[in-house]
Amino acid sequence: MSGHHIIPLKALLGAGVALLVLTFLTVAVTWIHIPEPFNVVVAIAIAVVKAAVVCLIFMNLYWDNKFNTLVFLSSILFLLIFIAITLLDTLFRDIPFGIY
Amino acid sequence: MSKSNSHVLHHFVDSEQQFEASKLGMWLFLVTEILFFGGLFVAYIVFRAWHPDLFIAAAETLDVRLGALNTVVLIASSLTIALAIRAAQLNQQKHLLIYLGSTIALATTFMVVKYFEYTDKFAKGIYPGAAYTYTGLEHELASVFYSIYYMMTGLHGIHVIIGIGIIAWLMFKARKGAFTSEYYTPVEITALYWHLVDIIWIFLFPLLYLID
Repeated sequence: MSGHHIIPLKALLGAGVALLVLTFLTVAVTWIHIPEPFNVVVAIAIAVVKAAVVCLIFMNLYWDNKFNTLVFLSSILFLLIFIAITLLDTLFRDIPFGIY
Repeated sequence: MSKSNSHVLHHFVDSEQQFEASKLGMWLFLVTEILFFGGLFVAYIVFRAWHPDLFIAAAETLDVRLGALNTVVLIASSLTIALAIRAAQLNQQKHLLIYLGSTIALATTFMVVKYFEYTDKFAKGIYPGAAYTYTGLEHELASVFYSIYYMMTGLHGIHVIIGIGIIAWLMFKARKGAFTSEYYTPVEITALYWHLVDIIWIFLFPLLYLID
């Protein structure tokens, strides 16, 4: 007998509905024209929530061995390091724009 | 060894350990995938920070409705492949095939929409890199946005096509009754891959289509 966790049907369908609502929300917020830096923040925040729903419910991380979550989060950590260190260079270059 | 454990390889203690090891292996692969796409996301961030006006102007040439449609299609496909795992866990062979088939149908829908988006742009002369001939955007680096757009959506599209191939192979195996509640590891780890492809698109959609 398999002892694997079977995700409840309600959780799967609920996650699907939540993702559709959040997709509508991410389009709807562009209609009210949030000022410059905050529109990106809102868009990314909604995308992060959607990705979390996919990971926790669809990819079973909520019920799964926590080591898999740790492995996944480590990739996010290294992605953030990648972004941060690259921006430390590109945001502070003392050369005129237009050549890239 | 009982017949139901015939899938367990000799170097694993039991079926459970083999299943967990396969899943961990898939998560490690997904880490490399995230960093693989990460390079393109970094390129996007660097160029958007340099040329915010270009990204705002160029994003208006992308059709939000088609992008939103494809987002809904991929979310639905994530749901169907999650339901396919459930069907395998419950030994529902017919449902397993239906859900895998639905996932392929949705993935194909995604690629058909992408085909129309690409051909519409090609018709206007919007090609990646040096082949760019579109004159509708008043920006000297206009082609840079589209090079990033084509690399990100193109690499994602290749992942969708590979996913279709793998899920088709799962259906071929499932028809022979290869997957049961005792053994469905290939369905489980293919679904993990497919959900990651969905997650990548969840970020691509607002970043490329929804810039005011």
